[in-house]
Amino acid sequence: MNCDQLREHYELYAWGLAEEPERAEIREHLQRGCKVCEPAVKRALETRALLGASAPAAQPSAQLRRRILASVGVERRGPGWFAVWAMAAALAAMFLFLSFVLQSRGKYVEEAFRSRAAFAILYGPNTVEASFGGSQPLPPRGKVFVNSSQGVLLIASNLPRTPSDKIYEMWIIPKGAKPVPAGLFQSSEDGEAMHIRRGTVDVASTAAVAVTVENRTGADQPTSTLLIAAALTR
Amino acid sequence: MLCAGVIFPLILAVYAGPEDQALIVRLQRRDPQALAELYDLYGGLAYSLVLRVIRDKAIAEDLVQETFLRVWNRVHSIDSERGAIGPWLLAIARNRAIDYLRSSAGRERNSVELDESEHAPLYREMESGIFISDQVRRVKAAMDKLAPNYRTVVELAYFEGMTQPEMSAKMGQPLGTIKTWMRTALQSLRDELGVAVSSS
Repeated sequence: MNCDQLREHYELYAWGLAEEPERAEIREHLQRGCKVCEPAVKRALETRALLGASAPAAQPSAQLRRRILASVGVERRGPGWFAVWAMAAALAAMFLFLSFVLQSRGKYVEEAFRSRAAFAILYGPNTVEASFGGSQPLPPRGKVFVNSSQGVLLIASNLPRTPSDKIYEMWIIPKGAKPVPAGLFQSSEDGEAMHIRRGTVDVASTAAVAVTVENRTGADQPTSTLLIAAALTR
Repeated sequence: MLCAGVIFPLILAVYAGPEDQALIVRLQRRDPQALAELYDLYGGLAYSLVLRVIRDKAIAEDLVQETFLRVWNRVHSIDSERGAIGPWLLAIARNRAIDYLRSSAGRERNSVELDESEHAPLYREMESGIFISDQVRRVKAAMDKLAPNYRTVVELAYFEGMTQPEMSAKMGQPLGTIKTWMRTALQSLRDELGVAVSSS
């Protein structure tokens, strides 16, 4: 197709709504640096970006900034007593939480649950849980908790150290369908991790929760063998 | 009419325009302070957009975190001399939100969704003041000019991530009608906003 035939489809392409064969044609024009299609698609992308900026303004919590910087390994400058306190509290909570999981429910509840989300998942009325790795000496072991209205909570220990360019990615695997990405996380130096994917989950159609090691940007589908696979049985 | 709460983060963002290129270079050099500055400039906008899509504050924050992590890890794909990192970041944020929305609703992920990383080189030479309040007012005015059915399909596509067949089912209209509405609506928006767009 020539550029004139594609003219009506630039906006649809930028919005992810173009159909074949126009989509492939525009993609091919872009790949070869077409001087007509490229600026037109760029303009369509700009229009789309403007629409995004028209969303009603909202303010994220102050913690989000710290979380983002921490996720790329940025250290706070200066004393940073709040961060030190928060880190210590988080580590203590994780330790208590793991102790709780491995031993029994109840004893360390108030101290262990550092997040309302984890609490809501663990004690949701319809939470389904599954263990992994318990029968083997070395692989990661732990539990996943799945609640239809609150999300998925994963607690793991014995996680191997990942290379600096890798990260763990959790997957929710529906029955008979492709895994759905459920967030990226890192383990502590001791190989422990607690990861939460908040939101609704169709528990009945979920076959398993899994974890793979992926590049730091994450993947749309698993690219390595499953490090953790917790099958849900009800 | 936009309230001050709407304008404030947009005014913050406009001053980022001339500094975008320097910021991109510093990000590509892995300067962590640059990420903090990027967040200060665009974090509020990204959060506002994701929250509009997801309508859950906690999940929205998770997705904004993923967005900035993705930008941090893929910033080398954007043009350091002419790149427009704000629009690119917002596009990634929107796609992460739509991906989440579709996954949680049990809808298939949209296989034709534009891959913002692949198209990062296209995010260049855009209007430096793309997010100024005046521009946003123009977007809102352009949306208001659309007939209700046109405006609905635009919002379903942008904020709900719906495909045209899904819109057809939701609105109870033939697919051909939906396609016509969508194409007309997008062309109208383009025509209304096109004068502000730089050419290359």
